[in-house]
Amino acid sequence: MKLDPFEQKIIDKMQPGVLSLSGFLGKDNRHLHEIIEDDFNKLKSLNKTQEDIADRLSFFTDKSKDMIEDYIIIDDKYQVFQEVYRGLVLCPFNHKGTFKKAIIKLINIEKNIEIQWTPLNIHMIKEHCFFEGKGSHYRFEPEIIINAIF
Amino acid sequence: MIIILWNVVTVVIISLILTILLILAEYFFANYGDCKITINNKKEIIVKGGGNLLSALAENKVFIPSACGGRGSCGFCKVKVLDGGGPLLPTEKPYLNDSEIKDNVRLSCQIKIRQDISINIPEELFNIKKFKAKIIEIINYTYDIKGVTFKLIEPDYIEFKAGQYMQLEAPGYAKSKQSVSRAYSISSIPEQHNTIQLIIRKVPEGICTTWVHEYMKEGDIVNLTGPFGDFYIRDTDADMIFIAGGSGKAPIKSMLEYLDNNKSKRKMTYFFGARTKKDLYLTEYMQEFEKSLEDFTYVPILSAPEDNDDWSGKKGYIPTYIKDYLRDSANTEAYLCGSPGMIAAVEKELIALKIPKEKIYYDSFG
Repeated sequence: MKLDPFEQKIIDKMQPGVLSLSGFLGKDNRHLHEIIEDDFNKLKSLNKTQEDIADRLSFFTDKSKDMIEDYIIIDDKYQVFQEVYRGLVLCPFNHKGTFKKAIIKLINIEKNIEIQWTPLNIHMIKEHCFFEGKGSHYRFEPEIIINAIF
Repeated sequence: MIIILWNVVTVVIISLILTILLILAEYFFANYGDCKITINNKKEIIVKGGGNLLSALAENKVFIPSACGGRGSCGFCKVKVLDGGGPLLPTEKPYLNDSEIKDNVRLSCQIKIRQDISINIPEELFNIKKFKAKIIEIINYTYDIKGVTFKLIEPDYIEFKAGQYMQLEAPGYAKSKQSVSRAYSISSIPEQHNTIQLIIRKVPEGICTTWVHEYMKEGDIVNLTGPFGDFYIRDTDADMIFIAGGSGKAPIKSMLEYLDNNKSKRKMTYFFGARTKKDLYLTEYMQEFEKSLEDFTYVPILSAPEDNDDWSGKKGYIPTYIKDYLRDSANTEAYLCGSPGMIAAVEKELIALKIPKEKIYYDSFG
């Protein structure tokens, strides 16, 4: 599939070493459109939207931001720890603004599922339905995320 | 055969003509000649027109902060334009509020220099320099925190305030083909003008910190730019509270070294937050300040000590302990370094303890 220059810029920004060490595409050979479309269809089959997921991740992110080197237990079920680092992260989709450099780790204590994400992930999921490519450091399959956070 | 040859020759001639026309067009229409940049109505630099303002200033050793390397996606490189600069571009508008637009604030990376231009920048930016430096010491403080000492080569002298930070340039390596710059607080004493130390925590998937923790060696030559930031000690006799965990200890270490060197008699307390014992570092070093400074107390607090940590110190949430160390809230300054969330939460607690909001200073990570 031929890319227009705008799309090519996005793909270039997703490569390893540009905005993050390993990039956003992992070992995925699919086209960016396919990655997004496949995940979108997966969400549809699970009766969830990208907004549902992003909003829920935002909820946990917000609840854990005030902690000082400590986790928080939410609803007796979710253990959430937020680690913040100096600096800001840019969106590979060329959206304006910057995102906090943070990693949020959630353990669903009941189901024993652990996932992690960054504020940039929330943005990319909400605005682009982009969960990163398979094999990427911060990619979790949508069904795993849904199982963990709902 | 002759027809084919004739067609080839025609194509070559047309291509040549087009190339010559393009060269001429660029020469006459894209050649802006020499342009003058006037800064704060006092400094003038002459540059070749055509490039962007951010780069032109950097080439003339005036460094405007930027988080995206001039790609127009962070909004940090703002300058106030007094004259020239052309019209405001659509690429700039998302980063400027109404008041800034009214004030003719612009993104310097988006201004193409086509004519003389006059700008205003904060005076402290004139103190920012680009340094060539040699790494002379790397210390492993914890499993994910290193202290790195740099000897300045060119220039070999720096002036900074305890609390400020530098931009460290990581060269291209392994997966990362291009250099990147990241900010780290200076952790050494300002009176040491030819070396600086940075405390650097490894960020998972971080380009610069992976280079620091896995590739950087003593003897390497690097570039540093700075100093930046407005987090510094206020020159008063007020009591002081410091609150910072992890690599947030860096600016506090610099401040304490400065205060110690200047024999400060101020009452000071440093609350250092960590999760477990393995996250503690420079503990003995801080305890030395308890002997050398007239009135300093170091209070490490673990949020989740492990069973085998054998921890008999304080546990839990830092703000619950502050009131035990307060002498006179109205005459206390607080210096915080950490995440925006932590700073907001702690600030709220400090205000509830009657520490004046205007005496709470912070260095926020984001």
